[in-house]
Amino acid sequence: MFIHRRGTSCLIYMIMALLLAALSGCASQDEEDHPQGEARAAAVKLEFWTPFSGGDNQFMTEMVNQFNKENPSIEVVQMNTRLDDYYSRLRTAIMSGSAPDLAILHQTSLPQFVQNGYIEKLTEPARQAGLDWKGFNANILESIVYDGNPYAVPLDTHALVMYYNKSYLRQAGLLDGNDMPMMSSGADGFHAFLKQLKASIPPDAAPLAQPSTRIDSVWLWWSLYNQLEGGGAFYNEELTETVFNNPKALKALDYTNQLYKQELIPPNINDSFKLFYDGKAAVLITGMWGTGAFEKAPGLDFGVIPMPVLYDHAAVWGDSHTIAIPTKLGMTDAKKAAALIFAKWCVEHGEMWAEAGHVPSMTKVVASEPFNSLKYRSAYAATANYVAYWPRHVRQWSIVEILIQEFEKMNYSQQTPEQTLENAAKRVNIELKK
Amino acid sequence: MKRISSMIGWFKNQELARKLILINFILVMLPLSIMGYFAFSRFAATLEQKVGDYQQQTMKQLTLNLDTYMAELDRLTLMPYQYEPIIAFLESKRDQGQALTLEEIKQLNGFVSQVFLNGRIDIVGVSLFGESGASYVVLPESQYVTTYKLDENAKWLKNEQMRNGQSTFIGTHNIQSTGGTIFPVFSIARELRSFDTGKKLGYIVIDVAPSVIHQILSQVTLGNRDAIYITDQNGGVVAGKEHAQPIAAISSLLQDGELEGVTHAAVNGERQLVSFVTSSVTEWKTIGIVPVAELMKDSFLIRNSIMLLGIICVGLAMLMSVFLAFQITKPLRGLIKLMRKVEHGDLLVSFPVKQWDEVGHLGKAFNTMVSKLSELGYLLYETEIREKDAQIAALQSKINPHFLYNTLGSISMYAEVEGNQEVVKMTNNLSRLLRYSLNGQKERVSLKDELDHVRGYMTIQKMRYEERIDFQLESIEAALTCKVIPLIIQPIVENAINHGIDQGIGNGRISLSCRIDESLLRIVIEDDGIGMTEEKLSAIRRRLQYSKDLGGSSGNGLLNVHRRIVLHYGELYGLSLESMPYQGMKVILTLPAVHEELFKGREDIHA
Repeated sequence: MFIHRRGTSCLIYMIMALLLAALSGCASQDEEDHPQGEARAAAVKLEFWTPFSGGDNQFMTEMVNQFNKENPSIEVVQMNTRLDDYYSRLRTAIMSGSAPDLAILHQTSLPQFVQNGYIEKLTEPARQAGLDWKGFNANILESIVYDGNPYAVPLDTHALVMYYNKSYLRQAGLLDGNDMPMMSSGADGFHAFLKQLKASIPPDAAPLAQPSTRIDSVWLWWSLYNQLEGGGAFYNEELTETVFNNPKALKALDYTNQLYKQELIPPNINDSFKLFYDGKAAVLITGMWGTGAFEKAPGLDFGVIPMPVLYDHAAVWGDSHTIAIPTKLGMTDAKKAAALIFAKWCVEHGEMWAEAGHVPSMTKVVASEPFNSLKYRSAYAATANYVAYWPRHVRQWSIVEILIQEFEKMNYSQQTPEQTLENAAKRVNIELKK
Repeated sequence: MKRISSMIGWFKNQELARKLILINFILVMLPLSIMGYFAFSRFAATLEQKVGDYQQQTMKQLTLNLDTYMAELDRLTLMPYQYEPIIAFLESKRDQGQALTLEEIKQLNGFVSQVFLNGRIDIVGVSLFGESGASYVVLPESQYVTTYKLDENAKWLKNEQMRNGQSTFIGTHNIQSTGGTIFPVFSIARELRSFDTGKKLGYIVIDVAPSVIHQILSQVTLGNRDAIYITDQNGGVVAGKEHAQPIAAISSLLQDGELEGVTHAAVNGERQLVSFVTSSVTEWKTIGIVPVAELMKDSFLIRNSIMLLGIICVGLAMLMSVFLAFQITKPLRGLIKLMRKVEHGDLLVSFPVKQWDEVGHLGKAFNTMVSKLSELGYLLYETEIREKDAQIAALQSKINPHFLYNTLGSISMYAEVEGNQEVVKMTNNLSRLLRYSLNGQKERVSLKDELDHVRGYMTIQKMRYEERIDFQLESIEAALTCKVIPLIIQPIVENAINHGIDQGIGNGRISLSCRIDESLLRIVIEDDGIGMTEEKLSAIRRRLQYSKDLGGSSGNGLLNVHRRIVLHYGELYGLSLESMPYQGMKVILTLPAVHEELFKGREDIHA
């Protein structure tokens, strides 16, 4: 009897022990798995607006992805918009208090955003992030300092360069032994060069590709105007009136217009970039941001040189992409710190951005091995030193818009270069008086 | 059937305590487990149903959210109707790739900018297609293109042509920028018509990055391992929550035109709860999938708790039941032990009755029974004695002793006259012997009287055997006053003569001695006759020890004497034998050395 009783209770204990074990097993299983998701959720999320519509956006996306991978505590979400709408969208966002945490601003439009404190002063956050301003190219650094305070982190310098299709140039006998284009110096030399090209390339290919609309012809004019001795004046000293309606400006504009009129630049070009990309253009004068994209173009054998000097000295239109923090209510110090960490990372990884074609803003990156090992870029890196920025004016971006509209009319033969300069000067003066 | 009956048989043979435990176990276990099972399965089913409803509601909310956003996008496709130049552009007859005028470029660019700026930031492309060849396509990271044409075979186009001007939502597909980069987008397409002519003008298509849907979906969590995604009319995935892998088996499950519902599907061997809602705006299905196990995690915890608690309760109940069963059957087991004792003849037992339940009554009845039994035993014994007494009395009464005495007296007188002294001596001794023997009224006599009787008997025997008998008697004075039962020595002596002298072996010496050893009276009768073999001796010893026969008429003298002593004095006393073949025999009578009349008391105890 005693043995029987012990057997029963033993069995009960065993069953209880088993069930307890099973229960605790279930419980412990629940407590595992969810590490990755939470870490990601806790990360500082930064909305980052960009206006890249050349071939350069893919390189920025690559950089953002790389940064996110290396910095699990910060998540940068990039949002790209075409440049045409970018600034009106950004302005609206800032005015409505729903600005992104980070935005790319062109150096030209900085004054517009520095006024009224639309973007954050970066002195303090940069100090905390350990960003050394002295590391930047002096020319670029100057462009982001207002009243002694830095307002944006310059990412690059970009300027016009000349891309050429080696096949077409070789065909026209215009390529030397180093695969460099052969042209006589000066405006006439360039004109003759294009004429010779036009004669040898197929009729559907453009000797020089430039769109009839948008800013490209203004860039070309501004570059040529600045190459002239004593040229490049835009405003009077007080910034109250324009001074660009002058013979030198007209000389540069007339030259540009002649290229269109003689169809060295064919009419009705919309997407000159695509034209060159598709091998339908012999020469393309555009920003250096196309290099990376052209390298990826299948079957395109191209070269690139700095903008040719047609007049008295080297000068070329250029601008800088800068990273700025728009002012808004919800901007915390933590976000600012994270934003600066991202900006610092971007400039220090300038060689990645240089793959798109731009010249990095940091001198040490330009001097570095990775940058110099890139093909083409080193050929035009020096351009950054003679870039002709637009004058610093709060409404410079809108004033350039006026120039674009007037130049488009000229390109479509609706007015002469003289009329163009006159009309533009008039409209800009009205704008300045506002 | 056989098994059941054998089971029942087995059960019947179990100990009472075991039966009680078994019954208790079944009584506790059966209702508890049945109730537990039904309660839990009911609970689980209800929970699953509720969770399903909840998930369905969540899907509806989600779809509503998305619909708000989609309706906003949908409104953008109406914008061309408000822009006269755009309608004019769509109406215009154009060759493929025909250049736009500066005015047109401005109008179209302005319009597209309006669409981009009025819409959400994730609009990445706007396309306008006129019926007469007009085309204006803006793709991400690209300048406008005028050479693209509508794919006449596109499924959505055929669908849209039948919708009477209502827009169509096109699930996620890839578009390629002029730079070659691939962008996944979903699109809203609308057929534009002229109000005046009623004719079709063309189409507007707006391409949208699915990241916003993705974001909206990511804010909804159904469980740790949930999958939420949206499929278009053809089952293609529009957007999904991160890592959400659309499951082919499920999309086929939802093809049968049902607009919304909750269902189950097995995916990778796991049961999944699938809820889906069809949007009225986009006609897309929002599908949420969660493993049922994930949802029922809490209910499993409850089940396990219930089970653990149940097992603890059953365990405690069983311990208690074991304790009780043994407690209840304990007196019964005591009773069984007592009965075994009675079975072995011990009637001096009694069951302690502590409670007045059935067992108490049983114990009392047992006690009564045992006492009745011992009473009956005594009665039987007494009856037997009395019967014996009656026999003896009857024997005695058969011969009138006075007649014998008188006759012997006459014989003696005649012999005196004749001068025959031997006859006189013999007759007188015989008369004395008879008188002693037949005067059985006396229960106790002194040893002296008993020895006198033996002496008288031996005188006759000596005369009979003509001095061949050498009889010697020794006795201590203290022994002579001892009280003994009568006629215990003479039969032994007679036996010694019969076996010692009649066989003609030895010198006929018979010696009788009496002494007292530690309050025991020992009477030893020795002869030097033929003696006994070992077997015969042990046979007689066995008879002495076990025979309950009082001797009777045919009784052996030794046995008779032995039984009488045992009956009178108890088992400690009696007769013992020693003998060797041809060496004679020694009989020892052991009696208590009693001088007083104490018999009365002893006899009472003995009864």
